[in-house]
Amino acid sequence: MTRLVVVGNGMVGSRLVEDVLAADSAGRFDITVLGAESCHPYNRVLLSEVVAGAYDLAALTLPTPVHDRLTVHRGTTAVAIDREDRVVVTETGRRHRYDQLVIATGSSARIPPLDGLSASAPLPAGVHALRTIDDAREIVAATLNARRAVVLGAGVLGLEAACGLARRGVRVTVVHPAQALMERQLDHDASRILEAAMIRLGIDHHVGMGAQSALVDGGRLGGVRLADGQLVDADLLVLSTGTVANTALAEAAGLAVGRGVVVGDDLASPTDRRIFAIGDCAQPPEGGSGLVAQGWEQSRRLAAMLSAGSPAPAGTTQYGSARASAASASAPHTPPGRPPASGAPAPGTDVVRLKAHGLDVVTMGVCGSQRADDPAQRTVRLSDPDAGRHVEVVVSGGALVGATCIGAGEVAADLVAAYTRRTPAPADPAYLLLPMLAGTSAAATTRVAPADLPPETTVCRCNAVTKADLTTCVDHGAVSLADVARATRATTGCGGCTDDVCGLLDWLRDSRDTTDRGENRLTKEKHMTNTAEIAAL
Amino acid sequence: MSDVASHCPYCALQCAQTLSPRPEGLGVSGRPFPTNRGGLCQKGWTSADLLRVPDRLTTPLVRSADGTLQPATWQEALDLVADRLARIRAEDGPDAVAVFGGGGLTNEKAYQLGKFARVALGTANIDYNGRFCMSSAAAAANRSLGVDRGLPFPLTDLAGAQAVLLLGSNLAETMPPAVAHLAGVRERGGLLVVDPRRSATAALSDVGGGLHLQPVPGTDLVVLLALLHVVLGEALADTEYLQDRTVGSEEVRRRAASWWPERAEQVCGVPAATLRRTARLLAAAAPAAGGTGAFVLTGRGVEQSTQGTATVTAAINLALALGLPGRVGSGYGAITGQGNGQGGREHGQKSDQLPGYRMIDDPAARAHVAAVWGVDPGSLPAKGKPAVELLASLGTPGGPRALLVHGSNVVVSAPNAQRVAERLAALDLLVVCDFVPSETALLADVVLPVTQWAEEEGTMTSLEGRVIRRRKAVEPPAGARSELWVWSELAGRLGSEGTWATDPAEVFDELARASAGGRADYSGLSHARLDGDEPFYWPCPAVPPGAEPHLGTPRLFLESFPTPDGRARLVPVDHHGPQDGLRPDAPLHLVTGRVLQHYQSGAQTRRVQRLNDTVPKAYVELHPLLAARIGVAEGEPVRLTTARGAVSVPARVTDTIRPDTVFMPFHWGGRSSVNRVTNDATDPLSGMPEFKVCAVDVTAARMRPEAHRSEQEVRV
Repeated sequence: MTRLVVVGNGMVGSRLVEDVLAADSAGRFDITVLGAESCHPYNRVLLSEVVAGAYDLAALTLPTPVHDRLTVHRGTTAVAIDREDRVVVTETGRRHRYDQLVIATGSSARIPPLDGLSASAPLPAGVHALRTIDDAREIVAATLNARRAVVLGAGVLGLEAACGLARRGVRVTVVHPAQALMERQLDHDASRILEAAMIRLGIDHHVGMGAQSALVDGGRLGGVRLADGQLVDADLLVLSTGTVANTALAEAAGLAVGRGVVVGDDLASPTDRRIFAIGDCAQPPEGGSGLVAQGWEQSRRLAAMLSAGSPAPAGTTQYGSARASAASASAPHTPPGRPPASGAPAPGTDVVRLKAHGLDVVTMGVCGSQRADDPAQRTVRLSDPDAGRHVEVVVSGGALVGATCIGAGEVAADLVAAYTRRTPAPADPAYLLLPMLAGTSAAATTRVAPADLPPETTVCRCNAVTKADLTTCVDHGAVSLADVARATRATTGCGGCTDDVCGLLDWLRDSRDTTDRGENRLTKEKHMTNTAEIAAL
Repeated sequence: MSDVASHCPYCALQCAQTLSPRPEGLGVSGRPFPTNRGGLCQKGWTSADLLRVPDRLTTPLVRSADGTLQPATWQEALDLVADRLARIRAEDGPDAVAVFGGGGLTNEKAYQLGKFARVALGTANIDYNGRFCMSSAAAAANRSLGVDRGLPFPLTDLAGAQAVLLLGSNLAETMPPAVAHLAGVRERGGLLVVDPRRSATAALSDVGGGLHLQPVPGTDLVVLLALLHVVLGEALADTEYLQDRTVGSEEVRRRAASWWPERAEQVCGVPAATLRRTARLLAAAAPAAGGTGAFVLTGRGVEQSTQGTATVTAAINLALALGLPGRVGSGYGAITGQGNGQGGREHGQKSDQLPGYRMIDDPAARAHVAAVWGVDPGSLPAKGKPAVELLASLGTPGGPRALLVHGSNVVVSAPNAQRVAERLAALDLLVVCDFVPSETALLADVVLPVTQWAEEEGTMTSLEGRVIRRRKAVEPPAGARSELWVWSELAGRLGSEGTWATDPAEVFDELARASAGGRADYSGLSHARLDGDEPFYWPCPAVPPGAEPHLGTPRLFLESFPTPDGRARLVPVDHHGPQDGLRPDAPLHLVTGRVLQHYQSGAQTRRVQRLNDTVPKAYVELHPLLAARIGVAEGEPVRLTTARGAVSVPARVTDTIRPDTVFMPFHWGGRSSVNRVTNDATDPLSGMPEFKVCAVDVTAARMRPEAHRSEQEVRV
């Protein structure tokens, strides 16, 4: 029996437990989970939806596997790792022995160095990060009284929070020190389009402008002073200025730590190969993206490695197989794929998709204006600022390697599908800029005037009757719908073409005989009375 | 002879027909009936042509020393088969003989075939082509709802619905008269079709009829998980129903928490906004929200997958969350495909089942059925291998050496069909019962000509669980015999225990007794009772003498679910994607399906000239952007290469398909058979193969230099 201790019971830690249990068909692992939060694991990604009022907190709860080889200690903080004894020590002094240890402690909100705030002291009333379920609960409570809010930091989370607050009727100002919104994903042009969209949502913004201080009066926020001295009245300040990996435990244990806990391609610490780190607390060779997709992919990979007792390459499956560890029992023949080039994220784990109500932003892979000077790459861009639309694709070697979509609607979903699966791009990448699935053929043929229909057009699908067949039928003397039904079987399947056939017969009759109108015109009602007659044929 | 009321020989809609024997041949017309309302599709109208196909089998054929099939008498053929079966059984035991049935066989034949296998042959190795059709839906429904009846409500219930979510079913093509039942929901804008192609059915959602969701192939489960996520996240679920009538909702709720629409969009390619809209439309239609009713329906498109059972389970979870099953005017259902796909899976053709949908590993079920059969329960074999595994084991060391095939054309219809052909070739004895020389029959050592459709009496169970009568209207050709007679003759020659009735009404009565007390209880039914005007949906149990007869069960679950505690189960499932994922040398998805004019392997419809004239040969659908990229124009040959092989067929260029996907219909054999390249990986629970999606490379079959040039020009 291998004793596996997992420190962290968040989105990635809890997922790892699921993945290991699913992959561990031999029953080798005895798992202990130490989670600092006292609640069940929950979906942190949806906290901004709670702020927006779109979701109930209860809807965020994630699976908590129950297994006789699994022990979960919630509300238990790990305070030390004794690597010599292979023991994790909790705040109550309890010691948990491990053979293998996974650190999945995640990250914490970064508290910016503003006058009036302190990273070590509790935040003043009215100032909140948005990282935990308690943060979300407090922000929601604050919106009951808050009239004006400042959101500091316009990354993904900040924009989602801003839109969510605006949806609740709070007047929102976004303050963002970098020159572009979501500057890790967007360039200047794209940011301008997004800024315009924010104005339409009634959200003020200061881009390229930092905040200097939080004005606190009597322990309560009263406003925010910007770098240029301007004062923004606010009774709510949401800090979305990035995160800091929770590395204290690892650092104290003497593990290599940079921005996060340093790990190799095998997710193991180079300092101690019994210890692994995944999720936001980890610093893998390609760097941490801060996206849960990366952590879940690491979880899948680590579970496969632990249960197989050997390293599994990164990106072994297509993105659709992100849960391949659970699948391995049912799909034993999954062919090994090629690991991505060193330093590249596993496919599909770097798609950024804003869930902001009113803003439509999706980015993935290479950004055109920030790409390296690679002659194999080609950037094609559709710029439509007046409509709030901006679509940019980067192709290389016949495949999509990056895209930026703002206000692009369904195009974004097509591009993500193409990007994550590396399906071949069209010969002319410009086609990628518009919805590829917006076909026109079916809709177009339904309401064309009878005279304009080509003769080979199928009118009755159930019985493969064409316009030419109906024409022939009338030429041979058919008068009523019953005549036509008897001869061609048109309208005798699902009946959905009855209107079309009646229209065609009217037209055929009119075009052949201009004197005999009105009385003998075919209508759907007459067809209904004729049904019995047709059925009796 | 006077007119005969019967039903169409093809799909599970079982459109009612009037068969009119005339000197010039049988006349066929539509007959008013709830499912087809008097309508027929082109297959139904031309069905009489099946009776007079030019190459109809009318004499047994035996492979001669020179390798050709030569006519033989019934006596010779049956003696030969019995002798060789007996010898193989004596040498290698009863499991050395295998049986493969079909979902087109009548209830009587399906029942008798299962009995023949277990009693006369004593083999565990029986399965059938329904494993390719309904097994995932069956596994999921049995697990979640306690019973598998495709539609647990009459099809006509759809008329009042405010929303219908249709996943992986192209019924406008596969059972056209059923489209009439969607007229109401289309008027209400609630037809929600999930299909990677804008199929004829998906097109019904155009112009205000509803929505079409066009997911990446193999990701339907993600669509369903996201819909459930929205229903639960936005508090649209029927919490009272979940509390009173189900168990397991909390775990499923937590599983769905990981599938927010924006994440789902990245996997399934359906925009998050569309997923939300779909969930809200469906939820608003549910009775708990004051809607007029909502249905979730699945078809082969989502079921023929290595995660088919999970996908159907997710569909049921969604339906349960909305409080649909067991409410009049709402529900979950699977749209059965084959003519007797429903009855065919209830009476013992499945490797793990006995009649009445009893499980073969249940001692009580074995005792009951053995008593009806007059044999020792201990003599009944155990669970056998499911279809794909069974076919793969043929002619292998320790595997079956003989195979009897009834109502199936496996060499065309099974996945990875080249391998199936190899396995068939490795057999010592292949016996095929059919009425036409199908591709499989042509490989046989012995071919036995049997009766079909309008030449015989029997019953079928339609997609809505209604038991209906198939009636004889014409005499079979001299030389053709019913399978019931064939099995009786073989059982006699093999010295089998038990009785072997050949009269379908008598066989039905025995089936009814064998099914008594089972999930699919037919014991209150008989041919005589079914000949009346009343509709009968199973279960329809026998009642004690003097009591009012049971009237059948049009709608299941109204009071409770047939589970130990009477509650439905929500079962947590998750997505893992197709077994054959995309890779650099196979960067596109291949999906397969049907066309209106053809049925299954095409063995029947390709012989009907009017159908064959309309769609004479196989083709592959591809998007204009893909066609342009590989330099193929309409009608030009395209080569599809997968890990299993290659086929070349003409291109049909259409913008109704995703640019990352190609579609090929499966009705042709030989070099035009798409199943030469489909994947035979199976669902771990149902054994259903992953027909519907695999990775493929698509190239022009003949390289045209100008295609190359145009690609260059674009770059300039």
